[in-house]
Amino acid sequence: MSEFFSFVLQNVPWGCTFALVAVGLVLTYRATGVFNFGFGAEAYAAGLIYAELYWHGVDRLWAAILVVVVIAPLFGALLDWGLFSRIPPGNSMAKIVTSLGVMVVLPSVVQIFVGATNVSAPPAPLFNEYLPVWHIGSGPLFVSGSELTTMLATAIVLIVLMLGLRSRRFGLPMRAAVESPKLLELMGVNAKRVSRGSWMLATMLAGLAGVLFAPTETPISANNYSVILVAAIAAAALGALRSLPLAVVGGVALGVVQGVVQGYVASDSVWYQALVPSLPFFILLVLLLVHPGMRRLENRNDPMSGVEPPAPPPALALRPPHINRVIHRFRWLVLGTVTLVVITFTPGPWIAALTIGASFSVIFLSITLITGLAGQLSLAQAAFAGVGAATTAQLAVNENVPVLIAAVAGAVVAGLGGWVASLPALRLRGLPVTLLTLCLALLADNLIFPTSWIGGGDNGLNVPRPHIFGIDFTAVDSKPFLLLVLAVLLAVSGVVHVLLRGTTGRALAAVHVSPVGAASAGVSVRRLTMFVFFLSAAIAGIGGSLFAMSYLQESPSDFNWFFGPTFLVIVVTVGATTVEGAIEAGFGYALIAQALTYLPSTVSTNTNATQGALTVLILSVGAFTYATHPEGIVEAVKRSLARTVFRAVPANPAERRTRGVS
Amino acid sequence: MTSLEFIDVHAGYGPYRALNGVSVKITEGESVAILGANGVGKSTFVRVASGLVATTSGVVTVLGRSVAGVSVHELARRGIVHIPEGVGLFSDLSIEENLFLRIGAHRSPDNRERLSAALDMLGPLRDRRRVKAGQLSGGQQRLVAVVGAIAARPRVLLADEPALGLSPAAADDVYGALAATKDPLTTLVIVETRLGRVESLCDRSVVLDMGTVMYDGLTTGAEDVLTGLLHRTSE
Amino acid sequence: MSHLLEVDDVSKSFGGHAVVRHVSFVLDAGASLGLVGSNGAGKTTLFRCIAGELPIDSGSILLDGDALPSRPDARARRGIARTFQIVELFGGQTVLDHVLVALQAHQGHQGPWRDLVHGGRTSSGERERCMGILALVGLADRAETPATTLSLGDRRAVELARALVGEPRLLLADEPSSGLDGEESRILIHILNRVRKETGVAVILVDHDLGTVKAVADTVIAMDAGAVIAAGTYETVVSNPQVMSSWLGQSS
Repeated sequence: MSEFFSFVLQNVPWGCTFALVAVGLVLTYRATGVFNFGFGAEAYAAGLIYAELYWHGVDRLWAAILVVVVIAPLFGALLDWGLFSRIPPGNSMAKIVTSLGVMVVLPSVVQIFVGATNVSAPPAPLFNEYLPVWHIGSGPLFVSGSELTTMLATAIVLIVLMLGLRSRRFGLPMRAAVESPKLLELMGVNAKRVSRGSWMLATMLAGLAGVLFAPTETPISANNYSVILVAAIAAAALGALRSLPLAVVGGVALGVVQGVVQGYVASDSVWYQALVPSLPFFILLVLLLVHPGMRRLENRNDPMSGVEPPAPPPALALRPPHINRVIHRFRWLVLGTVTLVVITFTPGPWIAALTIGASFSVIFLSITLITGLAGQLSLAQAAFAGVGAATTAQLAVNENVPVLIAAVAGAVVAGLGGWVASLPALRLRGLPVTLLTLCLALLADNLIFPTSWIGGGDNGLNVPRPHIFGIDFTAVDSKPFLLLVLAVLLAVSGVVHVLLRGTTGRALAAVHVSPVGAASAGVSVRRLTMFVFFLSAAIAGIGGSLFAMSYLQESPSDFNWFFGPTFLVIVVTVGATTVEGAIEAGFGYALIAQALTYLPSTVSTNTNATQGALTVLILSVGAFTYATHPEGIVEAVKRSLARTVFRAVPANPAERRTRGVS
Repeated sequence: MTSLEFIDVHAGYGPYRALNGVSVKITEGESVAILGANGVGKSTFVRVASGLVATTSGVVTVLGRSVAGVSVHELARRGIVHIPEGVGLFSDLSIEENLFLRIGAHRSPDNRERLSAALDMLGPLRDRRRVKAGQLSGGQQRLVAVVGAIAARPRVLLADEPALGLSPAAADDVYGALAATKDPLTTLVIVETRLGRVESLCDRSVVLDMGTVMYDGLTTGAEDVLTGLLHRTSE
Repeated sequence: MSHLLEVDDVSKSFGGHAVVRHVSFVLDAGASLGLVGSNGAGKTTLFRCIAGELPIDSGSILLDGDALPSRPDARARRGIARTFQIVELFGGQTVLDHVLVALQAHQGHQGPWRDLVHGGRTSSGERERCMGILALVGLADRAETPATTLSLGDRRAVELARALVGEPRLLLADEPSSGLDGEESRILIHILNRVRKETGVAVILVDHDLGTVKAVADTVIAMDAGAVIAAGTYETVVSNPQVMSSWLGQSS
C-alpha cells in the first residue's frame, strides 16, 4: 500500500510537466483557434537556449527570465505576424498545416543556428537540486528542485490562466478573436493586438515548459519534447481541448498512471518496453473514440468571411486553351524523351537519388489522395509506407516470395491498415482525424515496427530487388530498376489522376466542402472515406516497398512517426491538389538530399544530422507560405508565371464572370 | 452637421467592383434606407462606411473626419456601429458576454446601467443571458445583435438587412428596437432589399443599382424607382 | 392507398429542451405543404429529422408506408431531397459538377471502379440529363460557371437542381426565398411551381415570406414552440389568432 502511494506521489511532478504543456495547448487552442503541434518544438528551443545560456555563464534565474519573458514572447509575436495572422479564421486546415510546419522545421532551425546536438541538462532556475527529504509512511520521498519548481509553476499558471480567460478585459476578446477578428474589430477592439497578445502568452507558456523540462534529461533532445507533447495532447483531450482544470487533472493522472505501471511491471519484460511509452497514445485513442467533446471539435466558419476577396483562379484556368491543347498532345513525347535523356547521361549516385525520389513520389501521391482530395490531414501515411515495406521484406526474405508479389501483398496489408484506421475516422472530421492518425503512427512506431517478426529487428532486413526477364536490377545505381520504379510511379499517378478528375474526385471534394450538402445529394460519405483511406494507405505501402527495394534494405526506423508530419508538410507545401505536386515534392526531397552531400564537411561537424535538417528546412520553409497559398507554392509560382506570360490573352470566361459578394 | 459623406466612391473585392462612383451626404440625426436588388453594392456601401472594405478611389468622411487609413476598431470607437449582414454575434460567447464586448469591459456604474438597460430590451431573454448565443434561434440572435449595437451608444448606426431570415413577428421586434434609437443625435442607415418595414422608420431613401445611385430622396418616391429597376432586370 | 409521407407523433429534444413535440401530419404524392412559424419553432429541426440528419426521440416517419434508412445519404437515394436555409454548395465546383455529383450518387456510380474503367470521364447521357434539369431551373447557360460566384437567387437554383436530378418523391425546401429581393423570389416561386408541374414532386416548404407560402403551398401547417398549432388552407391558418401572435406579429 505505502509502496503504491510512493509510486503515486513520486510521479506527481512528472505529471505536472504533462499538465503544464497540456495547459499551454488548451490556452493556445482557446485563445488563438490553433491547435499548436509546434508547442513541443517551441519548448525544445526554449530549453536548449536556456541550457546554452546557463553553460555560457549566465545566472540560471536570469537565463530563465530572459528565455520565458523576453525571447519566447518575441518568438510568439513573430509567429503571429509572419504566419498565423495571415490565415483566415475559417481555414482550419491551414492552421493545422502551419503548426505542423513549426513542429517539423523549428528543431532543425535550432540545431543549425544554436548548433547544439549534445547539450547537458542545466539545473532548475529555482531551488537547490537536492532538497531535504520528506518521509511519507515508510518510504522516503525525494523531491528535487526542478520537480518543486515545476509543481509550483503549474499551480500558478493554472490559477492565473483560469482567472485570465474569464476576465472581460483579457479573456473575452481573446475568445471572441478566435471566432471572428473582423467582428471583434466592429466592436471597437483591436483584434490584431489581441491575437498578438494571445500568441505571445501561448509561446511564453511553451518557453516556461521548456525551461522547466530541460533539467530533467541529458542530452536535451527534440524527441523527448515530442513525447511530452503527445502525452500532453492526451491530457488536454480529457477536457476536450477546452477545460484548463481537466487538462491539469489529465496531465497529473497520466504521469501518475505511467509511474505506477512502470513501478509494478518488471523492467526487462516486453510490456515495459512497449506498453509504458505507448500508454498516452492508447489513452488519446480511447478519448478520441469515446469523448463526445472531441467529436464536436468542428470548425466554425467566420460569420464575416463574405468580406474577404474571392480566391484566385488556378494556374490552369489562366492558361489559354490552345496552349493547353499543345501541351496535351505532346506531353508523352516530351516526358519520354526527357526521361530517356536524363537516365542515359546521369551519373551513378544521382541515379540512386532519382530512384529514391520516385519512391518518395509514390508515397507522396497517397497524401495527394487523402489530403488534397479528401481534405483529411493524415499523419499516418509514413507509417503505412513502413507497413508496406516491412510486409514486403518479411515475405521476400523469410518466405521466399518473389519480391514484386511481396510488394503487392505489402500494399494490400497497408491498405487494410488504412481501412481499419478509417473506421474510427468515419465519425470524425478535421483536427480529431489528424490526432487519430498521429496516435496510430506513434502506436505503429512503438508496438508494431520494433517487433522483430514485423520490423526485422534492430538491423532490419536486406530487401532483394526483382529478377525479371533476366535483367540485373541489383546494383544500387541500376538504370533498369529506376525505369521499373518510374513505371510504377506512372501507373499510380494515372490512378490518382483519374480519380482526381472523375466521379470520385467530385464527390470527395463535395464531401470535403459541405458534408451535409453532399449527403443531401445522396453521396455516401462512409463508403468514400473507407475507400480513400484504403487506397491511400495501399499507395503509401507500394511507395514504402519501392523505397526499401531502392535502399536494398528495410529497417524499423525508416518510417518513424516524425516522417508522417514531415511528408505531409512537404507535400502540402509544394502542392497537394495536383499529381505534379506530389511528384515534384518527391524528386525535390531526394535530389536536395543528394545535392547536400556535396557540402564541404567544414560546414558542420555532424554532416548527417545537418543534411537531414537542411533538407527538411529547405522544403518546409515553404510551409510558411501555405497560409497565403493553400494551393501550394509551386502552383502559386505557376500562376504568377502564367499571369506574366499570358497577360495579352484575355482571362477565361469563368474568371471574367466572377463576382464577389456585395 | 454632416455625419456620413461619400464623394465619388469606388470600391470592390478583388476584380469585382461593387461601388462605381457613389456620392451621398447624410446629416446627423437622419434615418436613411439604402435600397436595391441583391448584388448592387448596398452591403459594400455600409462596409466602406465602417472601414471593413477599403475604397479604391473617392473620399469617405464619417463624423467630419476621413476614414482613409483608419482601422475598423478606431472607427467603432468613434461611434460608427455596424450590425453586419447575417448573425453579427459571437456564437461561442454568451448573450451577456456579447453585450460586454459592445459596452466595454470596465465595471463602472455607467456600464452596469447600460447592461441592465440592454437586458431589459431583451424581454424574456434576460433570464437566458448566460446561454451561448449560438443556441438561440435566428430571430433571438438578431435581436441581441441589435440591442448590443444600441447599447454601444452609436452616433452612426449601420444595420445591414436586420430582418433577414426572420419571421414577421421577430422582424417587428428588431425594427421596434431600431426605432428606439431614433433621436436627434443618432444617424440611422438601414440596408434592405424591399421597402416594407423601413418605410415607417426612414423618411429618406437611397436606391442603388450596379454600384451607382439611382435615386436619392423621400422614401415615398423610392417605390416606383425600385419597381422600375426590378422590371428592367427581369427582361 | 397509403400516403407519400406519414409523420406520426414525432418528438425531438436537445439537452432536455423539447424542440419538436408530438408533431403528426401526412402528405400525399405531388402535394405541397407550407410549414410556418416563428424562428426557433422547430421547423428546421423537423426537416433535419425527416432528412435523417438528426435521429428522432420518439414517433415514426414513413415514406410510402415504409420505414426509412437512418443515414441522410441513403434517404436521399430513397427519394427525399432537400435545400438549405444557408446554401450548402461545393466550393469551387461548377454548376454542372453539382448536378453531376448528385446524379452519379443516385445511380450508385460513385464507385471509383467506374473512374478507373472510364478514365474519369462522364457519359454524354449523364451530361444531357443534368443539362435538362439545369434548363428546368433556368441555369442552362451557366453550367460551366463556378457555383459560388453566382447571385444568391441562382445559388438557390443550383441547390434545387442538385436536389431534383435524382428524381425525388419529396422535396424539403428550407426558406428558399430568404435573402432574395422581390424579383428573385418571384423567379424562384415560378421555378418551384414549374418543377412541381413537370416532375410531380411533393414539396414541403418552410418560409417566412407570406407571398411565397401562398403561391406554392396547397395546405399550411403552423408551428410554435415545437408543436403544431394550426393546420388547413393558407387563409384559415394565417387568420388563426395564435398564429397571428406568434408568427405574424402586428404586420398581419
